[in-house]
Amino acid sequence: MAILDGTSGSPTRKKPSVGKWALYGAIGIILLAVPAIAQNPYQVHILNMAGIYILISLGLNIAMGFAGQFNLAMGPLWGVGAYTAAILNTRYGIPFWLNLPASMVVTGAIGALVGLPSLKVRSHYLAIVTIGLGEVINIILLNQEKLTGGALGIPKIAMPGFFGIPLNNDRRFYYLILVVVVLGYLLARQILGHRIGRSFRAVRDDFQAARAMGIDTTYYQVLAFAISAVYAGAAGALFAHLNTYISPDIFEFSSTLFVMTMTMVGGMGSLAGSVIGGLALPILQELLRVIKNWQLVVYGVAIMVVVLFVPGGVVEIARRLRESSANRKSRSSQSIAAAEQAEDSGVP
Amino acid sequence: MNNTSIFIQTVIGGVGIGSLYALIALGYSMVYRSMGLVNFAHGSIYMVGTYFGIMWYAGLVMGLHVPYPIAFVIGVLLNGAFGVLLERILRPLAKLDLMFMLLGTIGLGYVLDNLFVIIFGAEGFAVRSPLPSMPLVILGVRIQPQMLLVIGVSAILMVALQLFLARTKTGKAMRASAMDRDIASAMGVRVNRMNALTLAIGSGLAAAAGILAAPIVYVNPAMGAAVGLKGFAAAILGGLGSIPGAIAGGLIFGVLEAISAGYISSAYTRGIAFIVVVVVLMVKPSGIVGEITVEKV
Repeated sequence: MAILDGTSGSPTRKKPSVGKWALYGAIGIILLAVPAIAQNPYQVHILNMAGIYILISLGLNIAMGFAGQFNLAMGPLWGVGAYTAAILNTRYGIPFWLNLPASMVVTGAIGALVGLPSLKVRSHYLAIVTIGLGEVINIILLNQEKLTGGALGIPKIAMPGFFGIPLNNDRRFYYLILVVVVLGYLLARQILGHRIGRSFRAVRDDFQAARAMGIDTTYYQVLAFAISAVYAGAAGALFAHLNTYISPDIFEFSSTLFVMTMTMVGGMGSLAGSVIGGLALPILQELLRVIKNWQLVVYGVAIMVVVLFVPGGVVEIARRLRESSANRKSRSSQSIAAAEQAEDSGVP
Repeated sequence: MNNTSIFIQTVIGGVGIGSLYALIALGYSMVYRSMGLVNFAHGSIYMVGTYFGIMWYAGLVMGLHVPYPIAFVIGVLLNGAFGVLLERILRPLAKLDLMFMLLGTIGLGYVLDNLFVIIFGAEGFAVRSPLPSMPLVILGVRIQPQMLLVIGVSAILMVALQLFLARTKTGKAMRASAMDRDIASAMGVRVNRMNALTLAIGSGLAAAAGILAAPIVYVNPAMGAAVGLKGFAAAILGGLGSIPGAIAGGLIFGVLEAISAGYISSAYTRGIAFIVVVVVLMVKPSGIVGEITVEKV
């Protein structure tokens, strides 16, 4: 299961074998066929939302899991992306395809600003600072009524078209989200395999040592925030054009928590974790609807169980299973080396 | 009504709300100091404490209408006992990294919030103040009697806490176990029991804040989220882990909110208070009375 490799983006990974290519192909075909398999548009809608969450979660994972920077303003930053796209579209009639990069740039810039305090404050102090700045963003969205429409939000955002094909329902929009998520995932792997990613990990693991090695920690800390915000911005533009209506309450602190939960359930510090968590949580929420009020209680208990017993999330469970099966097969030095490598890539 | 008396009125209102934040911030700080745990479920514990007290007063239990002071005491004690229970759940979380601690305690908060939605319903209710609602007029300054009650009771509780920690043997043992867990336990202090007591006191103070606030705010299972966040901001503002810091942070946060609501813009109140917290932390990264942390080399 190459897709579950903890060390996504590791420069030393082996070329996938034929079997793995076959697996990739199968996954690809299933992903492409989803809108046809789905029994109703609502199921596709949930997957579309999952795709949007995966994007935000990838951003959060890069900042928090890989660079060790607490960015708890992800929900409001997602809102910045959504509002940028919504305002450009409803005021100036600019189409989705230009709004997507615009949202990414604007949100990235604001994300860098949110990241500036990380140069002075750390851990729980940084957590409250980013939460606070997120609140400030949300309050601005709520109160700048002329620009954002206040609590009523912005309705009638146009859905995009693709060379004359209107992407005007969930089944069609699905492919757009699929493409953006796949690109986002591949880009994240590139970033993390690059010098940037190695510097992120150095900043996370030992700040002082990273400095001593000549890594410009200031630059990489702010860059981590900016990159995470760019992902939130892309997710925001997609969300605004998919939902066609946005309001400030969607982007409150609770949305940050939701994304953080899915990232940690999937596996913080692993890109595959973002994909798994981003898919699993929205679907789980739908399944838990049956038990009504108990839904969120079960959800809370599940979070605590994950935190206490499998802090690496689903990715860690998969790794443990693989390791134990590998141990059973052979107790050669190979498996020890693999275990060591897996340990290196563990969560911070 | 002149400008001065309006200003004084605003500040008194801010001190009232601020002392509620201070009581909550104390819970964060004390628990952080003794267990090293940042307890994001504290907002929910505040909500639970409010219900534990107000349910007797507002007739939610067999239509009983217990007098307010008795309901207050019952609520504080019940929530204290609840805190002892929570220590068992939170103990393993205290050993984890901040990220996991954060998520684990948030998970606990979800559970509490939604259990209370199931028990009491999602809709809230208003609570009648035990004092007359006519404002007192002192030298042209109008003050709500409930606000005076809030300030008075909070002040008594804070002084009592200080005396308890400074003068009694148990208080000293609590401070010792917060300072150095291993040495304290070598000296015969039962550290886990002290942690349980800390959580009991923190939860009791949160219940006191909630029951005092109930006639001013609207009681519902979601009431803990915003107040919990502000209490945490207040604790951080003062310097997490510091008791005078928590009190100062709470009062400053409350007064800031009141002044920005009264003079700048009520819509941006929340934002202005948070911006001040951010600015203070940029200047003094460990809070107003926080200890300077030395970075490892």
